[in-house]
Amino acid sequence: MKKYWILFALLTLILAGCQQKTAAKPDEQLQQKDGAVQQKEADKVADSRTGTKVESIDSKDGSSLTGEGKEGMFPDVLFDFDKYDVKESYQPALKSLASWMTKNGSARLSIEGHCDDRGTNEYNLALGDRRAKAVRDYIVSLGVPSARLDVISYGEEKPLCKDQTEDCWAKNRRAHFVVLGKAGK
Amino acid sequence: MMRSYRILIILMLCLLLAVPASAKIYIDITSPSIKQLPLAIFDLQGAQGKEVSEIIRNDLTLTGLFMTIDKAAYIETASQPFNPKNWTPLGIEAVVKGTVSGDRTLTAEVVLYDTTEGREILNKQYQTEKDLTRQLAHTISNDIYQAMTGRPGVFRTKIVFVGDDGGEKGMYIMDWDGQRMKKLGLKGSLMLTPHWSADGTKIIYSSDRGRQWSIYLLDFQKMSEKKVFTAKGINMAGDFFPNGTSFVFSSSKDGTPDIYSYNMETSALKKLSSTHGIEVSPAVSPDGSRIAFVSDRGGSPQIYSMRSDGSELRRITFEGSYNTSPCWSPLGDRIAFSGRHAGRNQVFLVKPDGTEQVQLTDQGNNEDPSFSPDGRYITFTSDREKAKAIYIMRANGEAQKRITPKDIRALGPRWSPN
Repeated sequence: MKKYWILFALLTLILAGCQQKTAAKPDEQLQQKDGAVQQKEADKVADSRTGTKVESIDSKDGSSLTGEGKEGMFPDVLFDFDKYDVKESYQPALKSLASWMTKNGSARLSIEGHCDDRGTNEYNLALGDRRAKAVRDYIVSLGVPSARLDVISYGEEKPLCKDQTEDCWAKNRRAHFVVLGKAGK
Repeated sequence: MMRSYRILIILMLCLLLAVPASAKIYIDITSPSIKQLPLAIFDLQGAQGKEVSEIIRNDLTLTGLFMTIDKAAYIETASQPFNPKNWTPLGIEAVVKGTVSGDRTLTAEVVLYDTTEGREILNKQYQTEKDLTRQLAHTISNDIYQAMTGRPGVFRTKIVFVGDDGGEKGMYIMDWDGQRMKKLGLKGSLMLTPHWSADGTKIIYSSDRGRQWSIYLLDFQKMSEKKVFTAKGINMAGDFFPNGTSFVFSSSKDGTPDIYSYNMETSALKKLSSTHGIEVSPAVSPDGSRIAFVSDRGGSPQIYSMRSDGSELRRITFEGSYNTSPCWSPLGDRIAFSGRHAGRNQVFLVKPDGTEQVQLTDQGNNEDPSFSPDGRYITFTSDREKAKAIYIMRANGEAQKRITPKDIRALGPRWSPN
C-alpha cells in the first residue's frame, strides 16, 4: 500500500511538472482542472474534451467570400420528393432566365439546391447538389457558359417554410437563384 | 521523452491495478437474459451527498442492469455500520454507502458491499473540486459498474451534436446524460454531423462558409480548428479510419457525390466509389476493413458496404425505399441506420450481411443513430416531441429518453469513443 502512495506521488509530480510547461493556454488549465478527479488507487487520465471553452477555439479558416447578390429575379424551380429531374413545366421560365443571362453578359448566377427536411441531412445535401446541377445543366444546354453558373447545395439547412405540411415541403424542394453581379468576381 | 515516462508510469499503475482483488462478476452482460440486480444506494453523507447519489442512481438505472431500491425500504440507516442481515431479507444484493465532505475541494469515500458474502467489493476515496461534482459522481458510477460487471462504464463519455438555439447553428458538446452542455465557438452557421477519431481527441465535420462546403477538423487537445479538405462542390465528412490520419468522405467535385478517402499526412486522395447517382455518409467499420455508405445506384437510397479500398461491394438493406445514416456498432457486428417505414424515419439495426433487421423506434421520425463505446446504448435524433432533439436508448430499443432541452433544435449526435 505504501508503494502505491509513493508511485502516486511520483505520478502527480510528473504530471504537475508536465503541466507547468504546457499550461500557458487558458483552455488547458481548464482541461487540467476537469481531469482532476483523483483517486486513491487509480488516476484517471484527464478528459481533455471537457475543457472546451467557447472563446478558445482558434480557427484557421481563411474563407471570406460572402454571397451578396440579388434574389427574387427568377422564380424557384420545384422538385418532387427525392427527385432531381427538372420538370417540363419549368422550361419556359428557365428559357427566359437563359436569355436574360445572354443579354447581361457580365452577370453570374448562383443556383442553390434545397430539400424538405424529411430524410437525413447528408443525403439531402447531396440531393440539393443534384437539383442545382440538373438546373445548371439545363441552362447550359440553352447556351449559357457554365463558368457563369455557380452551384451550391444547402440541403435541408435553409428551409423557406418550416411547417410539417406537404405544401410547405413542396416549397422547400427547390432550386433558388441568386444573381451575383459581375463574372469573375 | 516526458511523455514516454508518463506512459510508463501509467502502465506501471495499470499493472498494479490489474491484480484482481476479486474477479467475481455479479452481472454477466453477455448473457442473453439478464436479471436486474437489486441495489441500495444511500444518499452519501454530507452537503453534496444527495446530488452525487442521485447522479449515480440515474447512471446505473439507465443500464437496465440494476434495480435501485427505494430508500423507504431500508432498515439500516446511513450512519449505522453495514450489516448484511439488514439486506438479504429484502433481496438486496449490493449496497453503496459513503460520505462527501469538503467545501471547495470535495473528498468522497465510497464503499460498495456484497450482502450475500458480507464483504466490501469496492472501497475508494476520490478528490475533486466542487464544480466537478457531476464528473465525480460519474467516476463513482464507472467504478461501481466495473466492479459489478467487469466492464468499463460509459458514464464519463460525451456526445457532440449540431444545435440551433434560434440564432446560428453551432457545434455542441455535452455529457452523455445531456448535462453540462456547451456550445463550441465555431464559425459558420451551417454544419453537418461531426465524427470522432477513434482516440476521442478530434472531430471532423462539414461546414458551409462563404458558399463552400468544406471539411474541418477540430482538435480538442489543441483547441484549434482547421480546414482539412475542400474542392469545388459539396464535401461531406465522413468518418475517420482507426489510425486517425485518414478519413472517408463524400464529394461532388467530379459532378455527382462519390466516396473518397483522404490521408491528412500525405494528402493522398483516393476515389473509392463512383456512380451517376448519390453516394454519401461513409462509415468506417471499427477494424477499418470495411466502409458502409448510402447509395441510390439501385434507384432509391440504400445502405451498401465495400472494403476500404473500394472493392467487394455488398448491398445491406433491401426493405423500404429510403435507408440512410449507417453507423457501426463498436464490435462491428451490427449496423444502425435510419430507414423510412410507413412514411416516417425509424432507427433500425441490421447485421453487416443484411440479415436480422430489427426496428428500434416507432414514435415520430428518428434519425442519425450513433453507438456508445460499449455498444450498449444508441443516441439519435427524434422529432416525437415536435422539435428535433437528441435522445438516448439501450441498443435493444428500451428506455428511450430525451436528453437535450426542447428549445434547442438538435441533430447529428455522435457518442464519443471514450
